[in-house]
Amino acid sequence: MTRALLWSKGFAVIVGLALVVPILAVVPVAFSERSFVRLPPESYSLRWWNAFLADASWRNALITSLQVATLSSIIAVMTGTAAALGIQKLGPAGRKIATGLFLGPAVAPVIVLAVGLYALARATGLVGSLTGLVIAHTMLALPYAVLNIGVSVAAVDPRLAMAAAGLGAGHWRIFRTITLPLILPGVVGGAVFAFVTSFDEVVLAIFLSGPRVKTLPVRIWEEIRVEYTPVVAVAATIMVALALLGAAASRLVSRRGQ
Amino acid sequence: MSVATTRNLSRGAFAALLLLPAMTIIAVAFVVPLARLATMSLSAKSGMLGAYEELLSEDVYWIVLWNTMRLAVIVTAINLALGFAVAMAMWRLSGSWRMWLFACVVLPLWISVLVRTFSWMLILEKNGPLNRFLLAGGIVDQPLSFLFNFTGVIIGMVHVLLPYGALPIYAALVKIDPALMRASEGLGASQITTFRRVVLPLAAKGVATAATFTFLLSLGFFITPAILGGAKATTISMLIDSFVNERLAWPLASAASMVLLALALGVIAIAARFVPVSGLAEAR
Repeated sequence: MTRALLWSKGFAVIVGLALVVPILAVVPVAFSERSFVRLPPESYSLRWWNAFLADASWRNALITSLQVATLSSIIAVMTGTAAALGIQKLGPAGRKIATGLFLGPAVAPVIVLAVGLYALARATGLVGSLTGLVIAHTMLALPYAVLNIGVSVAAVDPRLAMAAAGLGAGHWRIFRTITLPLILPGVVGGAVFAFVTSFDEVVLAIFLSGPRVKTLPVRIWEEIRVEYTPVVAVAATIMVALALLGAAASRLVSRRGQ
Repeated sequence: MSVATTRNLSRGAFAALLLLPAMTIIAVAFVVPLARLATMSLSAKSGMLGAYEELLSEDVYWIVLWNTMRLAVIVTAINLALGFAVAMAMWRLSGSWRMWLFACVVLPLWISVLVRTFSWMLILEKNGPLNRFLLAGGIVDQPLSFLFNFTGVIIGMVHVLLPYGALPIYAALVKIDPALMRASEGLGASQITTFRRVVLPLAAKGVATAATFTFLLSLGFFITPAILGGAKATTISMLIDSFVNERLAWPLASAASMVLLALALGVIAIAARFVPVSGLAEAR
């Protein structure tokens, strides 16, 4: 082994640990026994997990987050698939404009989107409603859904659809029997990504949540800005676990797709 | 009229129909809110440009702008240096080593920024593990304060943004033909010369993309500075938040939002000369 390679390996270990360990810091705290947060905890228990489950406000926040993430990922993937197919049918100029429009939410600062949506939601009475959160998170996930599914759509051989059309199949039948099965890995991957994007999102949710409807990250945000107990770490650990599940699912899907 | 034209027409109409639902969401949840902010920014009591004039005339707001820019420049610089090193390491390694390092770089992107910032809050605390380590090692006599100042914000933001620094540079490095490196070495160039004359110019596009990503994201960062920095390190996004939630000053909030949006668009416009804009979609 050359010295340069040894350096690279040593550096890789340090960087890998420095990137991953700080994220997992919340996990041991969630199993702490004491009321104050200390890392690593002096003794361990499931006390704070029971506290999380016993507290209706934490439970409701988790349920709201799951609802918003499920609804917004379904809508983002359905409208995103249609849009990706639509973009494919446009000429080069139209394609450029449509893609540019879809990129907007991805490059605009999130705080600006949050304040704009909050102003609109106040005027329409959607602050603190599930509808408002779902619309906002769908908008945020849409660029990635359109782009990712667009990659799958571009990889489909157009001659397959032409052959089917020549044999008398209609648009819907071509989509159902040829296009959809071929782009399915992209669609499922897009859905997983949209779900995690919504579940992780906090800035838009802070502005659009109300006293009765708030997502899990918003609850965490409110708690850590004042005094907090290890129950926050329980909520954070749930978020880490779900994100890791999403990452694993997405890897599985992209492998199947190859 | 030929058959081809009718078919093209229906093809265009069909494409529009497919695009309609997604475009409606973008219009309702993106275009309309931004247009609303633009009009509200012009609705100050003191006149149409009143809110902008107030932003320009008060020193506090210039300090916030300076804070934000300084933070973005520092974070971008650290990120490019670290990102380049990480990308080089990934590029040099092979097999499972490369795969594991790549996984470590990508994995944090799946975890909520809020959770990552909360973790740093626990680590950087006065009695947290980092200070205990520094004290036990005799490196410092007094615990250092990392929280509620720029140091904490920089540590947190570099950690959150490092993948955006490393991945574009790595993408550029893997495209380099290994034959070029061998040729350079065969012609007698030292490793440093090869790096400077061959690797660096070929990786320039990746570096430009990485710089754009991190700078753009740093400018609009809210969660990490708000939690780790607090009032001592106010950024534009925190100012906008306080305009809305504490001062209920909508014209000022909208005007500051327009300024931040203009800064972001300016960065994108400059970057578009060097890198394809579609690549920026991954930035968030």
